[in-house]
Amino acid sequence: MYEVRFHGRGGQGAVMAAQALADAAFVEGNYAVAFPWFGAERRGAPVLAFTRVDENKINIKTRVYNPDYIVVLDEKLMDFVNVAEGLSPDGMAILNSPLDPEEVDLGMSVKTATVDATTVALEVLGAPITNSAILGAFASATGLVSIDSVKQGILDIFGPRIGDKLAEKNARAAAAAHDRIKIGKCKAERTYPEAKKWLPTYQEMPLSLATKPTKTDSGLVGPGSSVENKTGSWRTFTPKYDEEACTNCLMCWFYCPDAAIKRLEPPKKVGFDMDYCKGCGICEEVCPADAIEMVR
Amino acid sequence: MKMKDLPEEDWFVNGHTACPGCGGATVVKIAMKVFGPDTITYFPANCLLVFGGTYPLNSFKVPYLHVLFENSAICAAGISRALKRLGKTDTSVVAFAGDGGTADIGIQALSGAAERNEDIIYVCYDNEAYMNTGIQRSGATPFGAWTTTTPVGSVEAGKGEYKKDIPRIMMAHDAPYVATATLGFIPDLLKKLEKAKNKKGCFRYLQIYAPCPPGWRMDASLGAKISKMVVDTGLWTLYEFEDGKMTINKKPKMTPVEEYTKLQGRFRHLTKENLAALQKYAEDKWRKDQALAEAYS
Ligand SMILES: Cc1ncc(C[n+]2csc(CCOP(=O)(O)OP(=O)(O)O)c2C)c(N)n1
Repeated sequence: MYEVRFHGRGGQGAVMAAQALADAAFVEGNYAVAFPWFGAERRGAPVLAFTRVDENKINIKTRVYNPDYIVVLDEKLMDFVNVAEGLSPDGMAILNSPLDPEEVDLGMSVKTATVDATTVALEVLGAPITNSAILGAFASATGLVSIDSVKQGILDIFGPRIGDKLAEKNARAAAAAHDRIKIGKCKAERTYPEAKKWLPTYQEMPLSLATKPTKTDSGLVGPGSSVENKTGSWRTFTPKYDEEACTNCLMCWFYCPDAAIKRLEPPKKVGFDMDYCKGCGICEEVCPADAIEMVR
Repeated sequence: MKMKDLPEEDWFVNGHTACPGCGGATVVKIAMKVFGPDTITYFPANCLLVFGGTYPLNSFKVPYLHVLFENSAICAAGISRALKRLGKTDTSVVAFAGDGGTADIGIQALSGAAERNEDIIYVCYDNEAYMNTGIQRSGATPFGAWTTTTPVGSVEAGKGEYKKDIPRIMMAHDAPYVATATLGFIPDLLKKLEKAKNKKGCFRYLQIYAPCPPGWRMDASLGAKISKMVVDTGLWTLYEFEDGKMTINKKPKMTPVEEYTKLQGRFRHLTKENLAALQKYAEDKWRKDQALAEAYS
């Protein structure tokens, strides 16, 4: 049996990739399951999906905690998610990155394949959607499934959802990525903060009319504790602010869904809290003075 | 209250996990700035419950309750009656429900609470479908809109029925305060939130338009713009119904509905005939709302 964990963001198609891989393994005569982890997160937020493949029937129903392979669709995830957590030391990481494996730091040194799946996807699909290209890289890096089966898996899974024409294109993206991988070993220099392992019990929750969060060993809990979630990590586009041009009309402050824009003491006007800005671009859209521009 | 007088402090704080550009999150952020700390909130199952209150984290700095999908208005009424027993009449009890939880699943509870004139504020943030479970049609989904349960194919082309008019149903209860609002008209929205807060001791209903970029297949930056356009087209009339008197707050420009639909992927498949039907709906709605305002003047 081998187990694969996919890391992506809501909307990037990690779940479809996990399913297409299962389908490819099934085509080759294996048993296979694929399923997402239903977190309560939304578009842009980190998501997980899993594939399990075996010659025999698979009875395990849990999430994959100690994957043999990890597949990362978005390289920015590695900056704040410990994607290699629980990865078997004999395992392998397949990453979407333009870097060489030796330049990547996963906090643990393992066999690593990199592929610039974003560029491949832009070339073949005309859009930075990497869930098919990364599967081609998986096939060539691991040798566990043939590229033909991966292409079949993509047609089977993507076809009914996005149409056969687009599925064909995605199969071509997988084939193109197949020949563009670099294999090596990644670095183990950084450390990630210990992730929360347990939830507080109800006795630790602040009672009734409390209006402030309480600190527990696992972090803040209770009213207003969501400030612990640094949702700024979801961002692709960032507001660039021109204080000179700003008329301090406060439209951006009013409309920011994430309350990431704050009023400042005069003569300063407004400030942006990048810990929370998800990069939706409403501020740029509502600014009557063109003082905000969304940049990559 | 003017926009500039809104407090800097938030009672619905950042770190919530709503999608980028979520209209519902903005509606709740602003509503909580107006309602303030002396508020108890109630939520049925919806996006807001999930992005604002997944255990053990919580984005609300005020008490926050969740029981079931069907009974928002009843639970809020229970809280309000218990407070009254304790001699607390100032605290606002607010239910925040989605359009699914309001127009379909919670409507019997809502109707009962309105009829008994319970002392609560009921805010429906209307994102025009069941979004939390992945975009299914609700009674409040507009005509022609694609959802996963009103697919577009050779037989169907999005929702075949028209939007259920909940504010009108609330008016039929003779509720003391019923109002519709959008994020596109800030002074109007703030006035209505304030009125709802200050009109104590009776049932108050607000329906606030809440753009949903993923569900509407729309760019995440368009929430404010689309909230203005929906009023300009006549698809959403801004009005208040207060103590039996209805006032229209904004005369629509009657911009062609196509200007509005073309910004959203959920309407992309609409044919000329579909668009003409939606245009007629907008014109009829404006005509009927005017007639209602006349009748309730
Ligand atoms: C009785 C019941 N039926 C179904 C569900 C599943 N469910 C949870 S949230 C939701 C959708 C809510 O839609 P809406 O009220 O429109 O709010 P939104 O998610 O759009 O904000 C559904 C169907 C449930 N929790 N309880």
